This record gives sequence, structure tokens and C-alpha cells, in this order.
Amino acid sequence: MSIGKPEFRYNGGVPEIDDIQLIKRVVKGDEGAFLALYDCYVSRVYALALHILADSMLAEEATQDTFLKLWSRAHMYLPERGSLLVWLLSIARRTALDRLRLEGRRPTLSDARDPTEAWQTIPDGNSLSEESHWRSLNFAVQALSPEYRQLIELAYYQGLSQSEIAEVLGWPLGTVKTRLRAAMERLRHAWGPK
Amino acid sequence: MTYFEHLPFLENIPAYALGALDARDAAALEAHLQTCTSCRDELVAYRATSDKLLVSLPPQEPSAALRKRIQSRLPGARVSARPRWNWSLPRLAVTIAILLLLALNMLSLSQVRTLQNQQARLMDQIQNGQMALVMLSYPHTRSFPIQAENVTGSLLLDREYNNAVLILRGLPAIPENQTYQVWLIAPDGERTSAGLVRPQTDIPFLSQPVSAAQDLVSFVGVGMTIEPAGESDHPTGSQVFRIDF
Repeated sequence: MSIGKPEFRYNGGVPEIDDIQLIKRVVKGDEGAFLALYDCYVSRVYALALHILADSMLAEEATQDTFLKLWSRAHMYLPERGSLLVWLLSIARRTALDRLRLEGRRPTLSDARDPTEAWQTIPDGNSLSEESHWRSLNFAVQALSPEYRQLIELAYYQGLSQSEIAEVLGWPLGTVKTRLRAAMERLRHAWGPK
Repeated sequence: MTYFEHLPFLENIPAYALGALDARDAAALEAHLQTCTSCRDELVAYRATSDKLLVSLPPQEPSAALRKRIQSRLPGARVSARPRWNWSLPRLAVTIAILLLLALNMLSLSQVRTLQNQQARLMDQIQNGQMALVMLSYPHTRSFPIQAENVTGSLLLDREYNNAVLILRGLPAIPENQTYQVWLIAPDGERTSAGLVRPQTDIPFLSQPVSAAQDLVSFVGVGMTIEPAGESDHPTGSQVFRIDF
């Protein structure tokens, strides 16, 4: 069976049938199915790794590690738990954060990426189905105050605990907890109940 | 459990969903989640939020080399698409040309080696012939005629200088697993090997020095037998000729 380059799929966390078929073939060692998934999702994995590591070489290494994990752990994917993309990006996030810790890079106020800048790398243009989806999600993040976006950045994309964030920002721990909770509540309501 | 008892756990769920809860608080929340359905539901909702953070980033393309790099590191991959070797016409033509060149090269090498062997044999014959001519010029050289069933010739013997040369004509070719062996015959009849002879199809005669570890005066004759390939310690095959000095 020939495999063309599949289109990006994200169905609100629900796995696509194509993904399930492909992952079953990957479990059996089918390189063609693996490459089809690579072509479909590599830009998402790399984007996440690059966002976390802020270094193209390290991001490619993390992307490579992520896809090699997909190859060796495909049998561990459970469709009932959610979409393949989210599973893959969860692996990518952990892989990139591990690499970040290995490199010993800790964000400070001076070198932490400006979250405003980080969220502004969105291309213009007409929305396609894929693009419109992440645009809509991204819109909610942009709508947060810079303070909230910075907290989300440090907690989720830099892997810092609330205590570490308080130390980096010089805020009281209670303030970090309150504002981080508020930021998440905003996103939760913006993105709906699911 | 009252709402106020739930509250500390509920407040920590968003941070937990982001993976940002400190270890001690995380352990307490995980223990609470074991028994609290409403908090588990709350966590599911916040997990969906953090999942959306994963997919909210604009896609970015890595280098094209990454795909090949990953592909080359897949252990035990089973290729389902087209075969690795695609025998296009140019590639086939180049392969055939290379094979032909290799074959021609091997043939040329074989011919060169054959010519080198022939040249070496001719040089031996020339040297032996020159030795025979020199011996004929010595006054002490004696000639013993050889007249056997399949071969004729002479033995030139110079006892003073301890030289002897066999000149043979018409020696029949023999199989590869056999050889002619020359023997020096002692007065008591004991034979001592004096060299091997293999006739050449392209030369009708041959000259062969008779090599001896001892003085030729201690022998009374020369003989030749057909022996298995290699060298025999004593005659085992049929006799070709015998000359008594």
C-alpha cells in the first residue's frame, strides 16, 4: 500500500482512524507508516522542542529522540486516552525538558524569553484547517496578560515548579500560585469545557 | 469531605496539570485523587487545557536532513514501500560496463602471467642450451647418446668440472599429476634424484642440467622414470631411458 503525505489531524484530542491504523503498522515495524506519521507531525514536534530549547540543533536532537521513542514505544499508545498528536507532543515536551535540565539552562529574568515575543511568531495568511485550529488555541493564549503568559511559559515550557518560578521572578510563592491558577482558569474557559 | 477540606487540593490541580506543583504538594494531591472523584474530574478538565497548550504553537519545519537521519537509526525497520535498489537503465549500463572492464582486466592479467611463465621457461632453455654449448667446447666433455622408445638425445658429461646436461627430443607430454624424474645411479645400484623434467608442448626439445650433491664421478649412470607429481625418494614408475657412463 502506498503512503502519501498525510494532512495534519487534530480532532480535539480524539484519535483519528488513520492514526490508529498507522500506529498499528508502526508496532509491526512498518517503516513506511512511521515515515507517514513523521511527515504529518514533525513540524508540531519540532516547533514545541524549539520553543522549549530555543536552539535549532538541540531542538532537532529532541525531535529525533521523540520519533525514535515513537518507533520503540508505539505499542504503549492507548487511543482511548487521547489523540496520537497529544501523546507525541507529551513525549516531545518531556524529552525537551530533560534536555534543558541536562544542559543546565535555567531561565532568569534576563534570559527568559519574553513571552510576548514568543507568542508573536504566528504567520499571517488565510487560515487553513490546520492553521485555523492552532490559531484559535493560540488566540486564547495571546489574550492572556503578559504576566499570565510568562507564568505559563515558565511552568509548562520551561518545566519550573511554582517554588522555582517564585525564585526566578522574585514573587511570593502565594502570588505565583494564585496567578498561575488564574491563568489556567482563563485558558480553560476560553477553550471550552473539553 | 467538605468544600473547605477540598479547597487546598482543588487550588493545586491547575498547577499539577501543568507539571508545576512542588513535589510535596504533588504527592499529597495524588493521594487525595485516589479517593476523590470530583477532583479527578477537575484534573481531567485541566489536563485537556494543558494538552491544548501543546498543540497551540505554530508549526515549524526542521531541516530536511533530519528525516533521513531518523530513518537511518530505526532499529529493525521493515520496509514496506519500494525496494532500496532501483535498477534504472543508466545504473544498469554502468554496472555492466564495470563488470566487463573487470572481466577484461582479469583476462589481460591471466595472459600476462602466461606470457611471463613462457618467457621464464624460454630463458631457462636458453641458459641450459648455452651451458650445453659451453660444455661441448670443453675437451673433456663426453657425449652419451640416448635412444629410447619415445625419446632421443644426448647426455653431455664433464667429470672434471662436475657438469652434466641432458638434451632430449621428442619427450612425450604427460598428465598434470605425473612428472619425469632424473636419477643418478651409484655403483651399488642406489638412485639419487637429479631433478624433475616437464616437457613443453611448444618446444620440441629441451636441455636439462643434471644436478648432483656429490661428484658425478661417484655415479655410474643416469636414468629417467615417470613419477607422481612432486618428487619421489626412489624410482616407483616406468623407466624412460638409462645411460651407463
